[in-house]
Amino acid sequence: MARLSIICIGLILFVTVWSSSLNIEGSSKRVLVLLDNLAIRETHSFYFKQLRDREFDLTYKSSDDSNLQLVKYGEYIYDHIILFAPGTKEFGGRLDAEILTQFVDAGGNVLVAGSHIIGDAIREFAGECGIEFADDKNAVIDHLNYDVNDNGQHTLIIASPDNLLASELITGEAKKVGLPFLFRGIGMSSDSENSLLLDVLTGSSSSYTANPDEKTLTEYPTTVGKRTLLVSVLQARNNARVGFVGSLDFFSNDFFQSPIQSNDGKKSAKSGNEELAIALTDWVFKQRGVLRARNIRHYLKQDKTTPSFYTIKNDLVFNVQFDEFVHGKWMPFNGTDVQLEFVRIDPFVRTTMKNNGGQLEAQFRVPDTYGIYKFIIDYNRIGYTHLFSATQVSVHPLRHTEYERFITSAYPYYISSFSMMVGAFLLSFIVLYHRDEMPKTKVE
Amino acid sequence: MSQLGQVIGILRKLNDEYQISTPKKLKLIDAYLVYVLLTGIIQFIYCLLVGTFPFNSFLSGFISTVGCFILAASLRIQLNTTNRSTFNVTPERAFADFVFAHIILHLVVINFIG
Repeated sequence: MARLSIICIGLILFVTVWSSSLNIEGSSKRVLVLLDNLAIRETHSFYFKQLRDREFDLTYKSSDDSNLQLVKYGEYIYDHIILFAPGTKEFGGRLDAEILTQFVDAGGNVLVAGSHIIGDAIREFAGECGIEFADDKNAVIDHLNYDVNDNGQHTLIIASPDNLLASELITGEAKKVGLPFLFRGIGMSSDSENSLLLDVLTGSSSSYTANPDEKTLTEYPTTVGKRTLLVSVLQARNNARVGFVGSLDFFSNDFFQSPIQSNDGKKSAKSGNEELAIALTDWVFKQRGVLRARNIRHYLKQDKTTPSFYTIKNDLVFNVQFDEFVHGKWMPFNGTDVQLEFVRIDPFVRTTMKNNGGQLEAQFRVPDTYGIYKFIIDYNRIGYTHLFSATQVSVHPLRHTEYERFITSAYPYYISSFSMMVGAFLLSFIVLYHRDEMPKTKVE
Repeated sequence: MSQLGQVIGILRKLNDEYQISTPKKLKLIDAYLVYVLLTGIIQFIYCLLVGTFPFNSFLSGFISTVGCFILAASLRIQLNTTNRSTFNVTPERAFADFVFAHIILHLVVINFIG
């Protein structure tokens, strides 16, 4: 009886441990949604429903909730954050711009939405990421591309899919489908030389960011033309992603569903907002465009063994498996432009790897110089995480027994040396045993 | 023209004198020296034509011929009875030196020929 109860308890413990560890993939879907106005849950319900359908675990909190915390017992309790609280001057609880930045440094992803009024906390966090929002009360204005439902200030603008980044990983089918987008909010600007920022959606060349209540502009607008960023993303060096969308209304049910009629009569039954919003959220929350490399192997071509060191002029083969995370599963990566470098301070060999169903392979000859080399793969493409892998090997020079023996072109030298030896041997016989004839004495 | 005729005359006289007055043993050593010289020249021409790829082999072969030439020439000098005034060594001593030097030479040549 006692034995049975012990077995039962053991089984229950085992099952609980097993089930909690089963959630490894699923546990990276905990999302904290910060709202400054809880009515957003209803006005943006289609967006949140789509996220829940994708098995994201949403926790709604008010941005000034005094119980806010990201860290509990030393671990992050959320993997992603949605900030739909543009007016927040200060977050409640244990959250502020610096803690958000630390969250991104730890690998967390953040999606931020803006509006006509941006609070200091959001501005500070955006500044850390290299994005500058325009001043309060500014809006993106476009007198040539606005919707007819606009209130007269031309702030409800229509963004064309021509201004959308051509990356299917980040924007999904939005560019192919070609529906225009509705946008009402604030514009952003960024340093154009920042290589980590991507302009996903920009305004048209007739758009600018200014205060719509001013009848005449007193100073140069914060952003003009195509440098008006409507949607921008940052992929940090640790591959954490932060997305900035200048309009909270971009995600609203209204904008998802309303038909578009532009000021010059072009009509569209539906906007492309839903498609872009969901694709962008998928990308920012690492459901697309994540790469990993595993199973790195290198071996000699002739006998497929991996020696502890290579020798110069060996033929070797390098093999690595690349996977891409697509729709919740790791699939084999099918890119054909991954390069492998064999580097000893400078790259001696640089080849493109052949892709065989996710198995990348490169073959080359070790250069004629010995030293410590690294196999370096440095793959950095728009929409994918930056993948860097370095494997160190040593290359030895030829041992004294590994040089060529009996070189054909040196046979004359070999023959002459041996003939010299034979000749000297024969000469020694002559010198020792030859007797000069005595001159005959003439007897006269 | 007459100068060329004079040179030819001198050379002919040298050759006649050589044939008469040198002992047979020394003439045999001279023949050996000519053979070694030819081998060396042929090797050098071969290297000029084909290139210096196994340079150590070329050096080894060439130095072998040069060394043998020098050793045989010094043996001839020491064995020549007319040189008794400057080189007062017994023929046995000369031959022993010759053999000892040859052993060292060929050891080095085989080591370096690769």
